[in-house]
Amino acid sequence: MPQLRQERVAGAEDDPSHGAHDHDFSRIFGIETEYGVSVTGTARPCDAGQVAMTMFRPVISRARSTNTYLANGARLYLDVGSHPEYATAEARDPMDALAQDAAGERVMARLAMDAQRTLRETHGPDATVHVFKNNVDSEGHSFGCHENYLVRRAVPLDVIERELIPFLVTRPLFSGAGRVTRDGFQITQRADFLDDAVSSATTRSRPMVNTRDEPHADAERFRRLHVIVGDSNRSQVATWMKLATTHLVLCIIEEHRRTGGMSPFAGCALADPGAAIKAVSRDPSGRARLALADDVPVCRDRTALDVQRIYLAAAQRFVADHAAAAETILPGAAQVLELWESALEAIACGDWMSLAGWVDWAAKRRFVEAMTRRHPDIGFARLEQLDLAYHDIANGNVVPSLERHGSLRRLIDDAGVTRAVDEPPQDTRAALRGAFVARALRAGAQWSCDWTHVALTAPHRVECELLDPFDATPTDDYRNVMAALD
Amino acid sequence: MPQEQDRITSQTGPEEESQGLGRVDADVTGQMDDLDAVLDDIESTLETNAEEYVNRFVQKGGE
Repeated sequence: MPQLRQERVAGAEDDPSHGAHDHDFSRIFGIETEYGVSVTGTARPCDAGQVAMTMFRPVISRARSTNTYLANGARLYLDVGSHPEYATAEARDPMDALAQDAAGERVMARLAMDAQRTLRETHGPDATVHVFKNNVDSEGHSFGCHENYLVRRAVPLDVIERELIPFLVTRPLFSGAGRVTRDGFQITQRADFLDDAVSSATTRSRPMVNTRDEPHADAERFRRLHVIVGDSNRSQVATWMKLATTHLVLCIIEEHRRTGGMSPFAGCALADPGAAIKAVSRDPSGRARLALADDVPVCRDRTALDVQRIYLAAAQRFVADHAAAAETILPGAAQVLELWESALEAIACGDWMSLAGWVDWAAKRRFVEAMTRRHPDIGFARLEQLDLAYHDIANGNVVPSLERHGSLRRLIDDAGVTRAVDEPPQDTRAALRGAFVARALRAGAQWSCDWTHVALTAPHRVECELLDPFDATPTDDYRNVMAALD
Repeated sequence: MPQEQDRITSQTGPEEESQGLGRVDADVTGQMDDLDAVLDDIESTLETNAEEYVNRFVQKGGE
């Protein structure tokens, strides 16, 4: 996708402090997913740590670490609390980020099936490994699917908090993954586990949006927005929509920062985002009234649907204002707006079931309710099991069956997922990292890398920095590293 | 917006370069009949001990 290179600011090459992308709408997207693991069908229980370590044996034997990078530029690692985690390579287009996220599911599924073979040797032939792309275990421990968006640093943190969080709190109307609870069906997985709006700490509190400055890019111009409030999605369309709509909102916030005037989102600031998302989660009609901040003029509260409508209207205006560049700013923009509008309209008239083709909570609720009609005496444990099975990317049959029967839509087919497993996006620095990893693996070299750096470590250290996530062009330093790998 | 070929189906055939940006049809009324088939699929593969399935899934919290 070379189009964005044409938007380079005139004279940028002469003035290093005046960067490309300062005034356009290009963005880097990333999704980090923490997976949950379990084993069933064994006489002796096998805890999450044991399962995760078994899954990561090939990683450890290759990388001598539980943290590694892959030939597609992604990071694969074992996180705190025994969560296998996959962080997608940098993408410039939500569709590429989706493909990389789907690649992550495939990578995890392969590790799981290998671990299952190993565990069957010691724990019996029925040992079954489950890898859950979800956000809560059976005891209420929660874990995340974190979105990353590169935003222009000119937007202050408090502006992001004020203008983005109302959108994130109500976004679950179409991005929520749903959860079966004893008190009814919630549309999010995470609402009961989030309290603070914005925080710099990540382990103690449960912030919705995290803006610690490790941008993995020029820190003077960009910040990495880390969104923690989202659910892990199985629906590919939901993942795409989650990124695409958030991107549009960030574009509007950035543009408004440049042009000044009243924010289109001034009337949405929430008094208590933590309480609001809990209310949104419990109300699939979207009519939950959310208290607004004291300094919002005129209005005391708004419904979740109304908040979303305000963001949608602003996005429609933005896309119309930039009609000529819309496909560059967001490929598929018209379709994103159409789906967004149709989702809100369906929810507004109670027709949530019509969203089961792409909204995870609707798909889950529809099949759980259908199963309950089939078995009216179904127990709660069984419902919880169905909920979890929806998220099992190793041995779960719910989503594959929904996809096979055309109930749940895909955007990336199996061949596309295979490509994303093998290859990084070609229009970001992931292309360079991925090519380096691929060559280092083929050469059997000793190497290391992280998001901004690749290095051959033996017999001599040859390394190179990759500071610009938008740049896929090999530098001389990079060429030296690659040559040393031959 | 030019009309694009509808590629958003459950097909598993090869994709074109644009990775399936066809029209995503919000209408699933045709798929209600298939829900029974989906339930049959799920019931034939879901482990019978639901309590064990659920209770075996315990992690510590993530980040």
